[in-house]
Amino acid sequence: MNGAANALEALPLLELRRLTVRYGAVTALRGIEMQVQQGELVTLLGSNGAGKSTTLRAISRLISPAAGSVFWRGADLAGVATETTVRLGIGHCPEGRRVLGRQSVAANLELGAWIRRDREGIAADLERCYGLFPRLAERRRQLAGSLSGGEQQMLAIARALMARPTLLLLDEPSLGLAPKLVAEVMATLAELHRGGLTMLLVEQNATAALEIADRGIVLESGAIRLSGPAAEVLADPALRASYLGSG
Amino acid sequence: MDTLLQILFNGLSVGAVYALFALGYTLVFSVLGVINFAQGAVFTLGAYFTYLLIGGAVGANGLLAGLALPFALPFWLALPLAGLAAALVSLLVEAVAFRPLRRRRAEPLLYLITSLGAGVILVNLIQLLMGAEGYSLPADSLGALPVALNLGGAQVRTVQLVLLGVSALVLIGLTLWLEGSRGGKALQAVSEDATTARLLGIDSDGMILLSFAVSGFLAGISGGLVGLSISITGPYFGIGFGLKALGVLVLGGLGSVPGAVLAGLIIGLAEALVPSELSGYKDAVAFAFLFAVLLLRPQGLLGRPQVTKV
Repeated sequence: MNGAANALEALPLLELRRLTVRYGAVTALRGIEMQVQQGELVTLLGSNGAGKSTTLRAISRLISPAAGSVFWRGADLAGVATETTVRLGIGHCPEGRRVLGRQSVAANLELGAWIRRDREGIAADLERCYGLFPRLAERRRQLAGSLSGGEQQMLAIARALMARPTLLLLDEPSLGLAPKLVAEVMATLAELHRGGLTMLLVEQNATAALEIADRGIVLESGAIRLSGPAAEVLADPALRASYLGSG
Repeated sequence: MDTLLQILFNGLSVGAVYALFALGYTLVFSVLGVINFAQGAVFTLGAYFTYLLIGGAVGANGLLAGLALPFALPFWLALPLAGLAAALVSLLVEAVAFRPLRRRRAEPLLYLITSLGAGVILVNLIQLLMGAEGYSLPADSLGALPVALNLGGAQVRTVQLVLLGVSALVLIGLTLWLEGSRGGKALQAVSEDATTARLLGIDSDGMILLSFAVSGFLAGISGGLVGLSISITGPYFGIGFGLKALGVLVLGGLGSVPGAVLAGLIIGLAEALVPSELSGYKDAVAFAFLFAVLLLRPQGLLGRPQVTKV
């Protein structure tokens, strides 16, 4: 590998520097450092309350860090509004799906493309989403609230894709889904990854996530306990220990 | 002697205006979760704007005594313009009574006081400028239209038809906009889940402004219509209507558009069915009805059971 390529790779898409987040007296993140390179699928693992969702919320500026920074393409996101992070290319598929239950599947997807003005591109992406999730196409006129949990998850992912994000933040997409559906969702994410989408995937289902990820990062009580290539993290006994809450 | 058909017609036309006015409250409530108590004053302003735009002159008592616009517009043009002017006032109310509190993440109760205060100031401003007297829109406001029409044997005042027709038009337009347009869907998204809307890139401040503008427009149009139908009784005339519309809003179910329409028509009809010799007790009948329904259905006719917003 030559020097120029190295220099390009050195500027990560996303970089967290000593990121600290507090909720009142509780410290949720303790100065964590991480990077996500263009095209990577990084999974953020850990037990409940380890700080995974908080990390995503800090990246899309739903919460402001107490200290440290989030850098996007080398620029500090301090003071940037959540609405703006979407326009910068950060898509956030929130915990608990949060589909707009009182609106149709199609309306949810259209709102996903809120920041875009290219009608033809939006129409093409809409068809692409329906191709990726045929069940959404069947139910496009139905209210999103009437969908099953799995379908709502697919809608949430599809809706986030409609903004054409550069980086997609996914908060526990497998939560509450039957094993068969978990496999289906993970297969879809793997397919998006092969298509070049950069993702930061928060998961409790560590095995399923590490199977499709390039790298894994394990959080414990707001600090990074373990990080490395997915296969190594999967094999590391510390992963299991972290989930059991010991150490 | 009124026939039943006339009574029903009166009830429906007044009820349709209640619905229109109540929807203004609904829009702001669904986005912000608070009631804008300045709505009644904006309604009053809508009536005064309409009066002035059709060429009406200010009476003898205000600072603007004797003043009249140099032109006189036909009612059908004056009404939407008065609505637009009311929308601007509503935006001003947002900027003065809501935005500063929102920036400081104030308690919802505080909006009640600031918006009520803004409303009182507006009403007093009207009194200062135009006096405390009543104004009525001239009988020929509707141009060459006859005063009454014979509809299936019943005499129906043309004004009632105008009220019903305009309200229906605006309601249909509003529904189409909310359900069909990009902006309408985004407004609904903010109302359902503000955090998710932000994650989609929807600017919630912009949507709040939009809801205030539209609700001001609705209040202004309602004021103009009521002014045409029963005349403007003075600067305070919007307060009673504001309370009634608030009742309609609660009866229909907070945040429910079809609920507000249904409740508006029901309250309008309930009032119209009060015999004319007891018409002084109309409000009591309307609110007794409201009271009874809420005891049975606290969430309103078409409201969803209250869910705590996250």
